[in-house]
Amino acid sequence: MSFEPKIVGILCNWCSYAGADLAGTSRKKYAPNMRVVRVMCSGRVDPTFVLKAFQKGADGVLVCG
Amino acid sequence: MAKPKLALYWAAACGGCDVAVLDTNEKILDIASLVDIVFWPIAVDFKYHHVKAMADKSIDLCLFNGAIRSTEQEEIATLLRAKSKVLVAFGACACHGGIPALANFTSRAEILQRVYIEAPSNSNEQKTLPQLQTKVAEGELELPELFDDVKTLAQVVPVEYYVPGCPPPVDLILKLVDLYATGKLPPAGATVASDKSLCDECDRIKEEKKVTKFYRPHEIIPDPKKCLLEQGIICCGPATRGGCGMRCIKANMPCRGCFGPPPGVVDQGAKMLSAIASIYQGNDTAGINRMLEEVVDPAGTFYRFGMADSMLKRKRLQKS
Ligand code: SF4
Ligand code: SF4
Ligand code: SF4
Repeated sequence: MSFEPKIVGILCNWCSYAGADLAGTSRKKYAPNMRVVRVMCSGRVDPTFVLKAFQKGADGVLVCG
Repeated sequence: MAKPKLALYWAAACGGCDVAVLDTNEKILDIASLVDIVFWPIAVDFKYHHVKAMADKSIDLCLFNGAIRSTEQEEIATLLRAKSKVLVAFGACACHGGIPALANFTSRAEILQRVYIEAPSNSNEQKTLPQLQTKVAEGELELPELFDDVKTLAQVVPVEYYVPGCPPPVDLILKLVDLYATGKLPPAGATVASDKSLCDECDRIKEEKKVTKFYRPHEIIPDPKKCLLEQGIICCGPATRGGCGMRCIKANMPCRGCFGPPPGVVDQGAKMLSAIASIYQGNDTAGINRMLEEVVDPAGTFYRFGMADSMLKRKRLQKS
């Protein structure tokens, strides 16, 4: 079985989340490995969120914004 | 009326917490006249079998210092829990793992290898390692087993109160005794210290936190009036509970975090990392990389006292 990483994406509401949304409405395909968490600003992201994601079994964390 | 019974114990500890109790100087005599000390390995000659013979819940107050990293410490923690009405995690090691919990960045096998075989001061040609059982002419000797993980007291048994600090300052020890003696102990689970961060009680001049270079304490003589972090010295005040009376800050040294995280902070190291990241001025990769180099041993610095209690807990063990 090939490795399918679980990636937690923490995305800013105003840019990267909007971008991901636009990708969806434009019916662009992207790999389903990323689980998105929307935050109102990437400045809200605390290192604890990243640790928590890894603790819960994420293989990678992507912070966008 | 019978005097309340007091027990003190040290597990994975340095002895400093016991000395801190003795540091209460003449007050120790007041304490000794108020209570009966029924167990205190550093100072009084009672043995484990004396404690085992006591009725459950017959010790009124037990001050337990040190982390838990061996079968013996776990056994005595369990024993003292059963025998005590009020169990207090006393000092940074019992509260958060403390300095011994830095061992969670390595493993038991690596520690034994280093201490008994590689350390330059050793002469151990047979490569002898401690054995749990050893046969000698008189019979079989037993040693407690060391765990891979260093744990906090509360990770092993339920704990009523926490008195942080490496070691706890005398005024907090006396405050605990006073709260106990006057029947004013807070609800179980409370920490006897401040509910704010150290920065909150720090009286240094705080201006804008903008740092372009980090210094280690020996590389700079800091201005004794200004915030140390603003001068580029890593001071863990933003991620540390107040209540120590700014012991290190008054000596012009940065806080190392011995009071553990303030209330509401889950992970002291992550909080400190966040504080450092938000004050660093620089947006080019080269500058950021240089800054990362300047923070020597970030894991050991940010998790100096809190590793056992952190979200990291320990380095992942190699599966054998
Ligand atoms: S908290 Fe500090 S003084 Fe107390 S036992 Fe641990 S290392 Fe020693
Ligand atoms: S960072 Fe240190 S020196 Fe600065 S205010 Fe906080 S405790 Fe005081
Ligand atoms: S300044 Fe920090 S390290 Fe020093 S005693 Fe206070 S809490 Fe502990």
